Amino acid sequence: MADSEWLMAVVNQARVLREGPAFPGGLVSIRRFSAAAALLVAVGVTEARAQITTVIGPAKRAPATGADSVRREQVAQDSIARVTLTDMKQWVDSAAQALALRPDTGTAPAEAPSTVTAAQIPPRPDSATVSRRMAVAPPEFREGGRAPNTATVIPTLGVLGAVLLVIGVVVGRRRRVPVPSKSRS
Amino acid sequence: MDRRQAVSLVLVGVGSCLLVGSAVSVARGAIARDAARTRWAELEAQRSARGARALVGQAEWAIALGSPVARLLIPKLDLDEVVVEGVGDAALRAGPGHMTGSAVPGDRGNSVLSAHRDRHFRSLGELGVGDTLVTESDRGTVVWRVARVRVVTADAPVLHGSDSPMLTLTTCWPIRYFGPAPDRLIVEARPVVGGSAAGE
Repeated sequence: MADSEWLMAVVNQARVLREGPAFPGGLVSIRRFSAAAALLVAVGVTEARAQITTVIGPAKRAPATGADSVRREQVAQDSIARVTLTDMKQWVDSAAQALALRPDTGTAPAEAPSTVTAAQIPPRPDSATVSRRMAVAPPEFREGGRAPNTATVIPTLGVLGAVLLVIGVVVGRRRRVPVPSKSRS
Repeated sequence: MDRRQAVSLVLVGVGSCLLVGSAVSVARGAIARDAARTRWAELEAQRSARGARALVGQAEWAIALGSPVARLLIPKLDLDEVVVEGVGDAALRAGPGHMTGSAVPGDRGNSVLSAHRDRHFRSLGELGVGDTLVTESDRGTVVWRVARVRVVTADAPVLHGSDSPMLTLTTCWPIRYFGPAPDRLIVEARPVVGGSAAGE
């Protein structure tokens, strides 16, 4: 059905409702309101159509060279690049060039350095601003260090859970022994 | 509901939660292990394990925690695991962990690999002096021979640098033990050079 035909049908329906209400009372006013809303939508769509745009696709990626691929891999593997920082705009801005090659950005700077030197990486912020993940960093190798603690509580929790489960089932299934009533003889 | 039923429900509920939590942890470990193996396979295929490192001057940046760095094979234990970077909980869930800061297997220096006693290194106690291990990394394939096996206390200083390649495997001891581990099992190996372990 064309827009004009549908529009005329809506208008005719509104006219019928206005001239001869079959059900006097609130129901008519509701239908009038619905017809008016439908009319507004029908007319408005044609005007609003110009404002509705299609999905804008992402910008095309620059063709990656071999060096870029290697560099992206390096950055992806670099734990420093994955640290979550808060309120460190200055540090982030200064490190933007080094981080621009992250694979998820999909962008490559025009003059990407082949290697990142220590001078290009600004000093890392105080420990208070780094993520909690860094605060619980695993032990690192040092001369005379201890062997890491590799014990987990998982087996203990598993056994404890099984024991509690069995006890719970046994307690729940135990039937009450009927107390023999004393017979008066 | 009487008192007995209430207690039963509480016990069953708590026990079920603990069991499910343990199962979820094991499942997450299996998923992480598969992911590490997949990633290692990709790295091998691309021969870009060396690219996982970035050079800053002369100093090497640390490899991202959880990234695969090597592959460990112990024929006697039928063990074939991908070693991931770090010895934290998340890393050790996926496989044996390479202690950050220690040498990569095959490099000069002491390479320290650790794993959970109830998972990947649950059979490490069966290793003895003379047994062989194999590591694969971007430094190449190295055959190691166990030179020393010892049990030390948890706070004993056992990790030391080395001028020559050295492999140290650690896990908690005793293996079959619930709760915090009081000791550590230390297995030290040297690369096999000309049929004998170097540094012996």
